[in-house]
Amino acid sequence: MALEAGLIAIGAGIAVGLAGLGAGIAEGPVGAAAVGAMAENEKLFGKGLVLMVIPETIVIFGLVMAILLWLNM
Amino acid sequence: MLLPEQMAKVLIVGSKDRLERTVDLLYESRVVHLVDFPPDKEGFTLGSPLPIASKTSERLLRLRAIEKDLDIKEPKVPEPLSAERIRKEIDAAIISLDSEILDVIGSKAKLEERLSELDQQKRDLQPLASLPLDLELYRDFRSLTVFVGHVRTDPSGVLQESLDQFEALTAQDGKLIAVFVQRSEANEAQRILMQYGFSEVSVPQGTGKPVEILDEIQKEESILRKSFEEVQVTLGKLREKHAAFVLASDEELGIEVEKAEMPLRAGATVHSFVIDAWVPGKNLDKLKEDFNAKLGDGVYIELLEVKNRKDAEEDAEEIGPEDVPTKASNPRPLNLFNHLVELVSTPRYNEIDPTSVISIFFPIFFGLMVGDVGYGIPFVILGFLGLRKCKSDEWRTISTALFFGGIFTLIFGFIFFGEALGMHFAPSPYGELTWSSLLGIELPHSIDLGLFSIPIGMFSKLHDVKILLYISVWIGIVHLFTAFGLGFANVAMRRGLKHAFLEKFTWILILTGGVFLLLLMVDALILGKPLIMTDLRMLAGAGLVIVGMAIGLKGEGAKVILELPGLMSNVVSYTRLTAIGMSKAGLALAFNSISIEMIAPGGGIMIVMALLVFIVGHLMIFILAIISAGLQGVRLQYVEFFMKFYQGGGSKFNPLMIRRKYTTEV
Repeated sequence: MALEAGLIAIGAGIAVGLAGLGAGIAEGPVGAAAVGAMAENEKLFGKGLVLMVIPETIVIFGLVMAILLWLNM
Repeated sequence: MLLPEQMAKVLIVGSKDRLERTVDLLYESRVVHLVDFPPDKEGFTLGSPLPIASKTSERLLRLRAIEKDLDIKEPKVPEPLSAERIRKEIDAAIISLDSEILDVIGSKAKLEERLSELDQQKRDLQPLASLPLDLELYRDFRSLTVFVGHVRTDPSGVLQESLDQFEALTAQDGKLIAVFVQRSEANEAQRILMQYGFSEVSVPQGTGKPVEILDEIQKEESILRKSFEEVQVTLGKLREKHAAFVLASDEELGIEVEKAEMPLRAGATVHSFVIDAWVPGKNLDKLKEDFNAKLGDGVYIELLEVKNRKDAEEDAEEIGPEDVPTKASNPRPLNLFNHLVELVSTPRYNEIDPTSVISIFFPIFFGLMVGDVGYGIPFVILGFLGLRKCKSDEWRTISTALFFGGIFTLIFGFIFFGEALGMHFAPSPYGELTWSSLLGIELPHSIDLGLFSIPIGMFSKLHDVKILLYISVWIGIVHLFTAFGLGFANVAMRRGLKHAFLEKFTWILILTGGVFLLLLMVDALILGKPLIMTDLRMLAGAGLVIVGMAIGLKGEGAKVILELPGLMSNVVSYTRLTAIGMSKAGLALAFNSISIEMIAPGGGIMIVMALLVFIVGHLMIFILAIISAGLQGVRLQYVEFFMKFYQGGGSKFNPLMIRRKYTTEV
C-alpha cells in the first residue's frame, strides 16, 4: 500500500510538473512577444493577455490529472 | 441595456453666419459625435476655421512660452477661475505678464550663460593648477616647443637619455607634465612622450598663476550663484502668483482654439456649412428643439437614418456598423467593468456589450477562487478606498474588482467554505486547526433562522475536492451557455435567425449533448457505476452532439470538428476555480500549522516569531490571491467567454464637449 501510494504521488507530481513545464515553454515566447507589442501600442494589452494565457490551460489539465490521482490514493 | 444605444446619423446644415453659434451649441449639447467630412465630396470644400482662430492660437503660443519660462508644472488643481473673466482680461494679462517676467527671465539667462562660461574656464584651468608656472610662460617662445599634458608614468629618465637639452616640470602626482625642448628635438620628444601615453592639455589664454585665477573664478561664481538663487526665488514667487491664472487661461484658450477649428471637420460651400454627425436616437428631438429655440430656422438638422444593427452587405455603399460609434448604456454598477471590456476592444454598434454580463460573472469567479472571510474583508476595504480615491481607469477597474470580488469572497467564504485565514470556523472532523480549537469555543456549523438555516462552511477546500471540481465544471457550463446564447443573439441580430441557428445553435446542441455525457461519466468514473451504452443519457448526449456537428458542418464547415476538443478543454479550464482555491488553502494551512502548531507552543519570544510568520505568510497569500484570482478570473472572461461571441473593433462614442479643470463657465 505504501509503495502504491508513493507511486501515485510520484505520478501526480510528474503530471503537474511536466504540464507546468510545457505551459511555461509555450507561454514564454508568447509573453515576450506580447510585451514587445505592448511597448509599441498599449492598447494591445487585452489581446496580448488573451494570447498569453491560452497555453495556460495545459497546466490545468495536468493539475486535474494530479488531483484525480491524489483522490485515488 | 445589453445593446449599445441606438444612433441616428444627422446632417446639420446652415448659413455660414450662424456657424459660430452652431459650434457653441454643438459643444453645449454634449451628444454630437462628429464625423470628419469627406474631403473629396463634389461641390463642397472643407470648412475653414472661425476668424478668431489665428488670433487665439497666437495668444495661446505666447501664453505657453510664459508657462515654460515660469516652469509651471501640473500642481494640485487651484480654485477654478471664471472663464468669462479670462476672456475679458487675457489680452492685457499676457502683455503685463510678458513685461513682468521679461527682466527676470533675461537676467536668469545671462546668469546661466556666465555660470557655464566660468565652469568651462574652471575645467580648463584645473589641471594646470598643480604646476607652478604662470600662464604666459607656456607660450610665445621662438626656439622652444612646449608639451603640456597627462602621462601614465614619469618619462623624465628616458627624456634625459635621448635629448640634449630640455626642461621638464611634473606635478606632485607625476601624472601631469610640462616639457620644454628645442625645436630641433621636438619630434623626438613627442615620440617618447607618446610612448608614455601622453595626452595633451590645452593651455588657456590669460596671464597669471592658475591657482590665483581659479580663486577669482570661485569668488565670482559664488556671487553669481547667490544672485541666481535670488532670481529663482523671484521666479518662484511669480509662478505662485500667476500659476492659477496661466493654467486657466491655457485651458480657456485651448478650448477656444478647439472650437474655432471645428469647422475644419465640416464641409462648406460659399455661403453655407454642412456637418456630418451621429446623435443618440433618444437625444435627437431635444437637440432639434434646442437648435430651433436658439437659432431659429437658419440651421436645419436633417435625420438621414436611424442605424439598424444589421451587417452591411459586402461591397455595399452604406456605412458598416463598425463605423457607427458605440455608446454603452449599462446602468450602474454594471458599467463599472467597462474598462475590462475596453482593454480587449470597444464593442461594435451591432453587438451585445458584454460589460454587464462579466460584471456579474467576474466577481462570482473571484469570490469562489478566494472564498475566505479573512481575505474578503481587506478586499472590500481596499476596493472601497480605491473607488473613492483613484481617478485613472486602470486603478478604478482594479478597485471595482476588489470591492465586488471582495463581497463575493465574503459570501462564499462564509456560507460555502466557512473559513477565515485558511481556518474553518466550526470544529473539523479531520482534526485540523480551526477557529473553534484555537479559541477554545465551539462555533456552530450553521445559523438557524426558524424556517431555514444559513450554513457556515458546506465544503472544505482541501477535503471536498471532488464535489468542488464538479461544481466548478457546472459553473463553466453555465458560463459557456451564456456565451453561446449571447453569440446566438448577436448573429440573429446581424444576419438573421438562419445564420444564428447554423453558427451558434449547433454549439448549444453540442454543449447540451456534452452535459448529458458528463453526467454519465461522473456516474461511471467517480461513483463507480457500470457504464451502460444504452443509457438514456448516453443516447441523448451522443445524439445531440452528432446532430449539432452535422448542422455545424453544413453551416461552418470542417472547422467544427477542429473546435470540438477546444470546447472540451474550455469546460475543463473552469476547474481552475477550484484549483486556485485549493492552492491558497494549502498555503494557508502550511503557514498556520508552522506558526500556530509548531512555533507558538515554544512560548516567550517564540510567540512573537510565530506571529511574524503568520502575518508575513498571510500577507503573501493575500497578494497572491489578488494576482492569481484576478488574472484567472479575467482570463476566463477573455478566453473562454469572449471567444464564443465577442467581436469588438467598434469606435467609442466621443461627443463634442468641453472638459474644464481650471476654469468654470457660469
